[in-house]
Amino acid sequence: MNQFNSGPSVNTYNKLSHWFDFSNPGILKVYSGKIDIGQHISSTLALITSKITEIKYDQIEIIKLSTDISPNEGITASSLSVANSGSAIKAASIALKIIFLNYALEKLKIKNEDILFENGVIKDKNSNKTISYWDFSKTDEFREVIIPEIFDENSLKKINYENNQKIELKTINEIITGKYKYVHDINFPKMLHSRIVRPPSYHCKLIKVNEDFKKRLVENEIELFVKGSFVAILSLDEFLVIKFLEIAKNNIFWEEIQQLSNNNVFSSLEKHEKESLLVKSGGEAFYEEIPEKKSFDDPKIESLSTIFKKSYLMHGPIGPSASCAIYNDKEFTVFSHSQSIFALKHSISKYFDIDSNLVTLKFMPGSGCYGHNGADDVAFEASVIAKGYPERYILLKWTREDEHSWEPYGSASLNKVFGAINDDGEIVYWSNEAYSDTYLSRPSDIELNNFISFKFLTNNFVKTKSKPKTSAHMGIHRNLDPIYNFKENRLVKNLVHDLPLRTSALRTLGAFANITASESFLNDLASIKNIDPFDIRINHLDDERALAVLKSLKKEMDFFKPKEDSFRGIAFSRYKNSAAYCAVGVELNVTDDLEIKLNHAWISVDAGEIAYEDGIKAQVEGGFIQAASWTLYEEVIFDSKEIISKDWHSYKIIGFDNIPVFTTSIIDQKGCAYLGVGEVVAGPTGAAISNALCNALGQRIKTLPFTKDNITKELLN
Amino acid sequence: MSKVECELNINGLSKKINIHNDKPLIYVIRDDFGLTGTKLGCGLEQCGSCAVIIDGEKKLSCNLLAIECEKKEIITVEGLQIESELNHVQEAFRKFNAAQCGYCTSGIIISVTALFDKNQNPSSQEVQNALDGHLCRCGSHSVVLRAIDSLIEN
Repeated sequence: MNQFNSGPSVNTYNKLSHWFDFSNPGILKVYSGKIDIGQHISSTLALITSKITEIKYDQIEIIKLSTDISPNEGITASSLSVANSGSAIKAASIALKIIFLNYALEKLKIKNEDILFENGVIKDKNSNKTISYWDFSKTDEFREVIIPEIFDENSLKKINYENNQKIELKTINEIITGKYKYVHDINFPKMLHSRIVRPPSYHCKLIKVNEDFKKRLVENEIELFVKGSFVAILSLDEFLVIKFLEIAKNNIFWEEIQQLSNNNVFSSLEKHEKESLLVKSGGEAFYEEIPEKKSFDDPKIESLSTIFKKSYLMHGPIGPSASCAIYNDKEFTVFSHSQSIFALKHSISKYFDIDSNLVTLKFMPGSGCYGHNGADDVAFEASVIAKGYPERYILLKWTREDEHSWEPYGSASLNKVFGAINDDGEIVYWSNEAYSDTYLSRPSDIELNNFISFKFLTNNFVKTKSKPKTSAHMGIHRNLDPIYNFKENRLVKNLVHDLPLRTSALRTLGAFANITASESFLNDLASIKNIDPFDIRINHLDDERALAVLKSLKKEMDFFKPKEDSFRGIAFSRYKNSAAYCAVGVELNVTDDLEIKLNHAWISVDAGEIAYEDGIKAQVEGGFIQAASWTLYEEVIFDSKEIISKDWHSYKIIGFDNIPVFTTSIIDQKGCAYLGVGEVVAGPTGAAISNALCNALGQRIKTLPFTKDNITKELLN
Repeated sequence: MSKVECELNINGLSKKINIHNDKPLIYVIRDDFGLTGTKLGCGLEQCGSCAVIIDGEKKLSCNLLAIECEKKEIITVEGLQIESELNHVQEAFRKFNAAQCGYCTSGIIISVTALFDKNQNPSSQEVQNALDGHLCRCGSHSVVLRAIDSLIEN
């Protein structure tokens, strides 16, 4: 351990009081700007704090994010929860521990060897005098501490901690007894329950509401809220709202301004207007001339090209999005499970043209899914409705159909890959062109149009064009830049316009498609020269940690004899080429009916120092399961009128009947930076399944998901 | 819209309520009894979040009419504890930290409890059958299966 970097959050929040609250005796409250979306961040942060400060894990409470008290650490996304908040809290803990020890030794006039340190209290062995963190927190010394941006080796030597890992999740007891409160469970006196009456599709203007229906609403004490083409109904009785929502669908009339395009989306991805950027080594995108793809006449070099396709995917949380809002005395208070709590605060204040200090966003848990689902939309909509009913709490829930039909999906995409390999097995040329709609349309104060209801409120249905993001590994070009030492790369990001469906950030952004395509194609290139899949990767890597992860995977897979009639595949990636390293192995069977059954999954991961082992395991196994579901089953179906995938029968996801046995290995790099682990496994999972399926069928299937229909079409071609 | 009187017994507590005759049980559990551990996921009997135990059988409560549940013993996740102690399924889930966001967890615990109440040593196929129709988006399946396996081994 040479030094420790405190991370970006400490640049802004460098006081201990930004992170720690010792006001309750025996309890340490910890602030974080990240929210718990099921990734166990609360437990992980409490464990990090406990390990360093030596305050017991049970004495530590993580405060739910609220914009009036919590540090603004940006969006809870991009696998940065532990990397940013974990590093900041680790830094704060180190700074606290060092200064507290010095303070206690001086105050008690004792030496290091004379102390007993337990539960945040230092005791003089000889005199039994004590001093605690809670005593220390009242001093000027505590208030004046500035958390360093970097801790040098000498500072770190003063901190010696066991990397103990066995804890009980902070949330588990309440979850298993039904006491854990989600935003859906909020209940205030006189609270109005609300649902939105949706039109058939994105581009519909309200024409009229049936007058008889209005009378029935009044008779049943149901409020009708109409603003532009935005329509909602409200009642004290939630069930009554649900009953009348169905009736409303036949009594509210819309004009369809524009139909959805139901042209083949893969054809649209190629043919529509697009902006093409060159992605260079390091992963950044540039507005530069795209070089022509090379061709090779040398007989010692063989080349190959393939087009991989991925359909629209949905986030699909099991509980539809919800929010509770109140407008009281010119101020908004909004309870939300959005991953972009601070951006949401500013967006809402911008919409109402009020000072952002008049809007407070409070995180309340929602149903997990990872990415930009309906959470931001529903919080915005709840605020709009709340403005119409001052001093009343409004609990707005999306329906299952709302969530399936109106959320911003992960974009459909194409990867056109071309590569060349010489007789020595060296990849001398690699071209990957990614085509996709945007992955980055989270709402912000300058992009209110990203709220789905904004266009209905304003009756402005003009579609705005997304702008390509250029930062390294941002959006479509995430992990387009291969981590391997290929001799020459040609990488192109194509942001395609005027595609039919609403899209935004889904777990991994473009990385899932890019890695699935490139790690499948790498195997195809290797097979031309009969090179083993492990060897082709190892031969093009010089990062020791990457090599260690691959070797760990090989060792673990070799330990198990393959099952009869089963086939294996592997893949590797380092997320964003800067976060965690992950190698995945899959063993599967393909039934006579072309159904894919997953037998065994091996995951080897290096996420830097292990912050919380079971948390990492949950993230990579959970990420594998979600990515396997995308790979095997998922595609959003739609026609020119509407989204067809309105429920779980028309949008199938993985169930308990296709969960493999897991062998998960985590390499601990104690003293190294925490590396985000929430998304690292998805790309290698798609590719490992693709590679195993290729071995099973003797042919590469290039269209996700690997349903019987898609497999059959490609086999017949 | 007229209401009918209905008496329901949930977690050992009997209560007379006036409800719409087409009100599904889940809204009675959550709104009239204030027990929010039972979750609404789809309202279509497709996701398993709303599972409860009725007269010893696992049932989905999102489309089941509350008035059809009179004179029946309804158990929700809040009613699984025995004298404030976790039941053995909850205990296994606690020991294995078998949840991520937790939204689907109460429904799964209900189904597994109903299974083990009838059969202390179920086969893997019987476990699969019990979990059929339970969806989880976070991917907690593997740790949930490990928790269930621990019950069988013990």
